[in-house]
Amino acid sequence: MELSKEKLLDMYKTMVSIREFEQSLSEAVTAGTLPGFVHLGIGQEAIHVGVTTALRPTDWVSSTHRDHGMLLARGADIKRMRAEIFGKVTGYCKGKGGSMHLAAFDKGAPGCNGILGPSQTINNGIALALKKRGQGDIAVVVFGDGAAHRGEFHEALNLAACWKLPVLAICVNNQYAISVCFDDACAIEDIAARSSGYGIPGLVVDGNDVMAVYEAISETAKSIREDKGPALLELKTRRFKGHFEGDPQSYKTPEEVAEEMKNDPIPLFVKQLLEQEITTEETLKGIDDEVKKEMQEAIEFAEQSDYPPLEEIFTDLYYEERRNV
Amino acid sequence: MREITYAEAIREALRQEMSLDDNVFIFGEDVGQFGGCFGVTAGLYEEFGPERVMDTPISESAILGAALGSALMGLRPVPELMFSDFTTVCFDYLTNQAPKVRYMCGGQVEKLPMVVRTTTGGWIRAAGQHSQSLEGWFTQVPGLKVVTPATPHDAKGLLTACLRDNNPILYLEHKVLYSVSGPVPEEEYIVPLGQAEIKKEGTDVTLISYSLMLNKTLSVAEQLAADGISAEVIDLRTLSPLDHDTLARSVQKTHKAVVIQEAVEVGGVAAQVVKSLVDSSFEYLDAPIKTVAACNTVIPFSPPLEDAMLPNEEKILAAAKEVLG
Amino acid sequence: MKPVGIIANPASGKDIRRLVAYGSVFDNNEKVNIVKRVILGLDSMGVKEIVFMPDYFGIGVRAMEDLDVSLTGSFLDMQTENTQDDSARAAEIMKSLGVACIVTLGGDGTNRVVAKTCADTLLLPISTGTNNVFPYMVEGTLAGLAAGVTALNSEWRKDFSRQVPQLEIRRGSQLIDIALVDVVVSKPGFIASRALWDMTTIQEIFLSRTQPGQIGFSSIGSHIFELAGANGRGVHIIIGPGHQKVKAPIAPGLIPWVPVKAYRIFEPNEAIPLSHAPAMIALDGEREWVEGKKSRIKIVFNPKGPWVVDIPRALQKATEERLFLTNNSKEVE
Repeated sequence: MELSKEKLLDMYKTMVSIREFEQSLSEAVTAGTLPGFVHLGIGQEAIHVGVTTALRPTDWVSSTHRDHGMLLARGADIKRMRAEIFGKVTGYCKGKGGSMHLAAFDKGAPGCNGILGPSQTINNGIALALKKRGQGDIAVVVFGDGAAHRGEFHEALNLAACWKLPVLAICVNNQYAISVCFDDACAIEDIAARSSGYGIPGLVVDGNDVMAVYEAISETAKSIREDKGPALLELKTRRFKGHFEGDPQSYKTPEEVAEEMKNDPIPLFVKQLLEQEITTEETLKGIDDEVKKEMQEAIEFAEQSDYPPLEEIFTDLYYEERRNV
Repeated sequence: MREITYAEAIREALRQEMSLDDNVFIFGEDVGQFGGCFGVTAGLYEEFGPERVMDTPISESAILGAALGSALMGLRPVPELMFSDFTTVCFDYLTNQAPKVRYMCGGQVEKLPMVVRTTTGGWIRAAGQHSQSLEGWFTQVPGLKVVTPATPHDAKGLLTACLRDNNPILYLEHKVLYSVSGPVPEEEYIVPLGQAEIKKEGTDVTLISYSLMLNKTLSVAEQLAADGISAEVIDLRTLSPLDHDTLARSVQKTHKAVVIQEAVEVGGVAAQVVKSLVDSSFEYLDAPIKTVAACNTVIPFSPPLEDAMLPNEEKILAAAKEVLG
Repeated sequence: MKPVGIIANPASGKDIRRLVAYGSVFDNNEKVNIVKRVILGLDSMGVKEIVFMPDYFGIGVRAMEDLDVSLTGSFLDMQTENTQDDSARAAEIMKSLGVACIVTLGGDGTNRVVAKTCADTLLLPISTGTNNVFPYMVEGTLAGLAAGVTALNSEWRKDFSRQVPQLEIRRGSQLIDIALVDVVVSKPGFIASRALWDMTTIQEIFLSRTQPGQIGFSSIGSHIFELAGANGRGVHIIIGPGHQKVKAPIAPGLIPWVPVKAYRIFEPNEAIPLSHAPAMIALDGEREWVEGKKSRIKIVFNPKGPWVVDIPRALQKATEERLFLTNNSKEVE
């Protein structure tokens, strides 16, 4: 579990990069330049970085609409991510997916599914293939507290448990499914408690502490790689912004929002790093500046990229034809 | 040439392809040790073992999700849905998921080989929720191919073609045809997708159909022949994408067309065929195109009611005579 | 007749030991069942009033639901933060209310924070986990009956109560914190999931008790022959290659060979500094904070820690006082 100083600083940099990436999208929404909708994961960086740090590059991680950060943490190119969100041909999906279908398959990240639920069942298929390959890689699926009530949650975990698939199901519980509070949508306190219904381990983890997330995922992944079967983790956290950017969060009181932001994972990690004398404020500031520069380059890249040509309307539909006849 | 049943032909295609390619595997409810509820996969479990012929819980969403996920990873899954009426509970995978993945990720994934086998049709006294012909819904999904054989020969050849295709495909097997025998070559062969076949050549009227109805249409063609009428019978075989050229050539020759489907008369493949012919051959038509279909109602249990509600030879003959004037 | 307090921490399955060891956790519904049995035991002994610590799961609320009892249950008027501080605050209030005893449901950690503020209020700790040394594995009904006895007559207290030791972490003369069972010092790092299971990071251990038959780090002490009789004194063990290896069940299902470099017994008047700094300090199995390079903390063994109810002796007292008998047929109806 021992992480080197370089690794810890790398984690810090990734968390800050994610924060910058999301903030800049927020600014674009305010400026009216962003097409469609984005769902920002500001406040959930500990989850993105804690999870990915604990995994192998050859593991697979499927994630949600709030997880641009997960793809970034898996090593996706920040320029191509920004370009995709703005519908440019240089984006990961040639501009045809956008934020809600952003994927980086070469990083083992099928990305966001626009429908809640299927990512959990599809992940079982990925896990089945990984199991057959026999390299000990695992298939992680991240979903929210809202999606945990879809039928797929049940079908996927039951099948994964029956077939002993190398599945790590992670429920990110930020207490809200758009405007509906978790307590109003769920009969129990912890989604993780449902694990016993499938005969698999279930854990609740503090999703605001990147090291707690890292540790829990590491240990769980180790167990799954040892062929002990799937597990369900619940990471408790909060999202600081609305469901989509532009949502004024009228369903939360200002006091609640202020309270949520007290558990900001980035200052929390900084405090831990400084207290243990792993780094200095100066070094961290240097990293912050580097990140700002990289973000600016990504913004310019996306702005200067073209939209896809009209022919792309018909490509990628069928394997052989590339055109819809 | 030896004769085997439609069900045996399907099983032979599966067996031959599974022997050639280790990536092909079957799963679904009761497909393994039980050999399938219609006996189609009998013996495959014993021959290939539980890793390649897998029994599942009653979890259609999990089944199709696992199929999609494993197809993304390079496996070639053949999931079975016991009745096409159950496509409704896993509809998302046949509409929002499998057919759209390649497109939405901009081609990051190229091959998506997923052949969903399911049974279709009535006349088995199973009433409203186990007897439907629902292919029409799925022909309206870009990115999904829909295929249905009418004969044992085509059952083996089309399925082999499907198993070697790299797209998501819905393959519909008519329950009543399972026990019908016909000539089937012993070696492996393919019947190409996207190609309709003229099962009987003729000059006076074009009768277009598929699946069980195709067989009834051939009987009607014989009756017409006894009356000196030469009917050309076309078996669509692939319902999506439609073979517009074969349809156009035939109707431009005969100047009259009847389209026969077992599905209810509102919407569906017949309506698409009519549109195709209107687009390609309107000036060639000597009479309006007639369609024969089931009454637009729920399939009743009581046998005389079911028989009256579904299309039959009398109705097909009457429609042919009507366009012939 | 004094009131009795109940502090039950809702379980949230946070314990990573469920994964890295084979620990189990009583789920909250099971805790409700236990508390119901406790209430029925208390009611049977004639206790009139129970005070509950409020919690987000509503263990007390659910336990009182549909129970046919004559006692009343009330909830402390306090803010809850869903952290262990809730238990400390609740114990403090219960002490000020003069409860006869506080029944706790939880592990060593819950009881540790209760012991910080309950002063000499009697504790009746019921174990709701497998990784516990301090609380009792006892059936709830018996716990309720015993707790009920404590409420009947303050004079009887000396007949069934014992004072157990605790370890104290002091900086100079200031008491920083306490541990009921063990203080484990390991390599500095992150608090992360709080539980401790990786022996390779552990540097030294302080124990308040070494009776055989206990699970957890204290078993390292109990399994060293010379220390088995160290009761009434503290034990300090330095972990590392040397001297010998000790096979010990440090967590459910985890029975590693622990390398022991050195060990000694220490007396109540000694204050032992850490052998390494900086270091992570874990109290009763949970990582709590990191001591810096210039750490001045010292560990002290205090034989006079919290007071606990000896359940068999409490029930024996009740029998002696003929509390379980009646000649009045009306009472039996």
